[in-house]
Amino acid sequence: MFYLSQIERNLKMPPHLLKPSLLDGELEKGIRGELEKLYLDKVITNLGLCISVYDIQSFEGGFIFPGDDGCATYKVRCRLVMFQPFVGEVIVGKIESCDEFGLQASLGFFSDIRIPERFMVQPCHRGEDGIWVWQFKVDNEEFQYSLDIDEEIRFRVASVKYPPTPVEQSENSKPFSPMEITGYINGDGLGLVSWW
Amino acid sequence: MKIEKANVGNLTNFEVFDFLRSRGATSDPMGCIGSVSPSECKVFEYLSGSPACMQTRESVNEFLIKADKFKFITTFEKLNIVNSTPTVMPALYATIKDCDKRIAKEKEQIAKENQLEEDQLQELLELVKEIFPLPAEELEELSQ
Repeated sequence: MFYLSQIERNLKMPPHLLKPSLLDGELEKGIRGELEKLYLDKVITNLGLCISVYDIQSFEGGFIFPGDDGCATYKVRCRLVMFQPFVGEVIVGKIESCDEFGLQASLGFFSDIRIPERFMVQPCHRGEDGIWVWQFKVDNEEFQYSLDIDEEIRFRVASVKYPPTPVEQSENSKPFSPMEITGYINGDGLGLVSWW
Repeated sequence: MKIEKANVGNLTNFEVFDFLRSRGATSDPMGCIGSVSPSECKVFEYLSGSPACMQTRESVNEFLIKADKFKFITTFEKLNIVNSTPTVMPALYATIKDCDKRIAKEKEQIAKENQLEEDQLQELLELVKEIFPLPAEELEELSQ
């Protein structure tokens, strides 16, 4: 689910953050703070969602360029903890909502996980209350297992997509999600955790 | 921004949990303020509910060394198993991609050793249960 990514960036440190840092020798803390502001909880295309700044490997420079409002520019090399599950990974999440296309699951810190109908346990249908139900037949006996909201669900990652940022968005469309995970639950051991 | 190396190394859920814990994250969301950001706190909360919170560095290393003898599983599948610690056979099946097809292929290859392929899976499951035991309350629930 998680991996480390090494990046290099020219970071502008605003002067109000420099004064206490230089005095206490805590420039690194100040740089870390700025990096967190830039990357924490943001999606970097093809890398994933940045969870945390793992460490700062080096920083150099500190030159003040003209026209920069007194900001000192440092070349920082750091490692970030990224969240990007690999295809085929098995993850446990919670069912957040369901609609006519399928389910939506969430991990708490990440909610754009879709399980479309074609990837769900078959055969299944949507009940009148909107909840999806799995009809399981064994020896001529039929069991109905419903996929209720807030239930823990184990799914396998089918794909991770990064849709491009839309230039225009109509008012009623759902909010843009920069990273979308599609999962499937039609397999042994997948589906609601309580089933197995 | 320049991406020097996109993937320096994979991290198990336990390693991320340990890292956030060492930065000061706790299960209490109010206690996290100041040391870690709210988003890091949410990740910590999620990981606290997963098997990762019960693991130790030694147990994860032990599993990886002992699982080396099972040649049919890849590194990613070992990662899958460490992160989800399956306790029943269907859950183990879920972590290994195309399990049935691989078993049939493996059968031909190890036929001379006279060992059933299901034995290998059962052995793997026992190894997981031995190294990552369930906490006492969950065991009680299961036996009821």
